[in-house]
Amino acid sequence: MSHIIELQHVWKRYDTGGEIVEALRDVDFHADPGEFVTVMGPSGSGKSTMLNVLGLLDTPTEGTVLLDGQDVTDLSDAEMTTQRKQFIGFIFQSFHLIPTLSALENVEVPTLFGDDPTARERATTLLERVGLGDRLHYRPDQLSGGQKQRVAVARALVNEPRILLADEPTGNLDRKTGRSVLDLFDEIRREDDVAVIAVTHDPQITEYADRTIELVDGRIQ
Amino acid sequence: MSRLDDLYRRVPALLMARRNLSRNKIRSGLAVLGIIIGVLAIASLGMFGTTLRTGASQQLGEIGNEITISPNFQEGIEELSERDVAEIRRVVVDSEVVAVRTDTGLVTRGQRQTVVTIYGMENPGALYEAQDGRVPDRLRQGVLVGSGTAEILDAEPGNTISIDGRTYRISAVLAEEQGISLVNPNNAVVVPVEDVNGTGYNQVIVSSESGQAANESAIAIRESLNEREERVNVFELQAITQGINQFFGILNTFLIGIGSISLVVAGVSILNVMLMSTIERRQEIGVLRAVGVQRGDVIRMILAEAGLLGVAGGVIGAILALGAGIALNSFVLDDPLATFQVVNFLYILLAVGFGIGTSVLSGLYPAWKAANERPVEALRK
Ligand SMILES: Nc1ncnc2c1ncn2[C@@H]1O[C@H](COP(=O)(O)OP(=O)(O)OP(=O)(O)O)[C@@H](O)[C@H]1O
Ligand SMILES: [Mg+2]
Repeated sequence: MSHIIELQHVWKRYDTGGEIVEALRDVDFHADPGEFVTVMGPSGSGKSTMLNVLGLLDTPTEGTVLLDGQDVTDLSDAEMTTQRKQFIGFIFQSFHLIPTLSALENVEVPTLFGDDPTARERATTLLERVGLGDRLHYRPDQLSGGQKQRVAVARALVNEPRILLADEPTGNLDRKTGRSVLDLFDEIRREDDVAVIAVTHDPQITEYADRTIELVDGRIQ
Repeated sequence: MSRLDDLYRRVPALLMARRNLSRNKIRSGLAVLGIIIGVLAIASLGMFGTTLRTGASQQLGEIGNEITISPNFQEGIEELSERDVAEIRRVVVDSEVVAVRTDTGLVTRGQRQTVVTIYGMENPGALYEAQDGRVPDRLRQGVLVGSGTAEILDAEPGNTISIDGRTYRISAVLAEEQGISLVNPNNAVVVPVEDVNGTGYNQVIVSSESGQAANESAIAIRESLNEREERVNVFELQAITQGINQFFGILNTFLIGIGSISLVVAGVSILNVMLMSTIERRQEIGVLRAVGVQRGDVIRMILAEAGLLGVAGGVIGAILALGAGIALNSFVLDDPLATFQVVNFLYILLAVGFGIGTSVLSGLYPAWKAANERPVEALRK
């Protein structure tokens, strides 16, 4: 089986004091290495929820999550954290860089806890690759929005993940800057065989995607 | 790569902690100030106790090793006989026995004169040291002059003085006795025992090598001399010194207890600071967890922050406490070096340990709280 990540009959329900919200309803989904998939849909349709389940940040109420062919649905918190570190890179809409750390240190964060002698080298190379070789020691408040997002992309890639998950990666960027980030995604998935799954409202992303899926009320259309 | 960078690489929690603390310098500074005050309070109150104790024991001298035997007037016994003294000599442990016959008299040298206490002793060397001249083992002729008396008479070894009409050559001027003593030589003269009128002795001083020997001697003397009737009073100075030591022990505990309260207050302020800063950093911690940082590492990071606050406060507090101790000792004891005693360093160590301990303990709850928040919750604003 060549799927790097797969959801089988995944349900996610939230109990909000009496009323049960079904954020995901019987979702079947998979992505292959090097594939670029976008997830679209109206607000509240369950896109972020799905991404969190894919990223092992959240567990489904029902159904199975397979990561690289292995069932990871019922792992412990520590095991999930280890899997996240090994397989998954996250990119958030609002970047979520750590303001006290330099660009380079931010990229190193996922490698920080644990013995990793080549981390600095990889972080430097990645920042050069995303065009920030001359901004290594800038703090986030000294960078523009697009630059911050590129630092976030470098951070997501530093542990050489197999899957890149992005929740509205261009939501806070203008068209042009957004396009440069998307070009970066395209390059990464081609060169590094990374599966890119991006949630978006931005129609320009679909131009880059191999596949677009649409969620409505927690169901894939 | 510098040493610090190297340390940060090896203990990444420290790097994160250091950066987080520098984020809000005033808040961190105030938290450190609390610890400084607490550490300073504990250490300097402890050292204050040491200073009091040192001052008191300087006053008391070595009297803990002395016992005094005097006749029991209530039983009609007015003086101790040769036989009593011989009996005392027989029973004491590791001690020298000095029998004293006391009188008062007029001392003159040229135009100068003064009234002094006259001690008749055979072996004053067991009790006194010379400041000038030599104290003989057996005093057969000549006189030992106390420092106060020597000053009044302007006398020094080799001079002659007359005591109640009899002429003596001065063998030695005795060192000034700083502490409390039952046969204080400062304003006295010591002459051969035969030269003082009488046959018996007014008191017997037993000078032992240790407090333990003094205690055993006292028990033995009571058993042998007071067997049939209460012939003698045995006065142990050790009882006083023990009481005083106990008192200072209690005083010190009390002082340190007061100091500890301020540390508890400091601990609460650290708890508050850490709680606020972890709540502010909720999302950041969520990101850390999302990118693969384990719960334990988050806990370590926040404890490192609290620990750093404690270490900073502890080190600064210790330095200030040392300064306070030096000031106190040069003021009270006139001896700033008296600060550098093992006990004082123990107090400082104790205070710093308490300071760091309180900080880390106060960091535990915020750390636990931050680490147990699910990253999905933290990342959703
Ligand atoms: N922790 C939660 N408790 C209760 N309900 C939740 C929780 N998280 C999500 N939901 C609900 O699940 C549904 C899906 O939410 P989700 O965040 O996945 O939507 P989304 O598609 O990402 O929307 P948007 O485009 O606005 O980001 C929503 O109805 C939301 O209210
Ligand atoms: Mg969303």
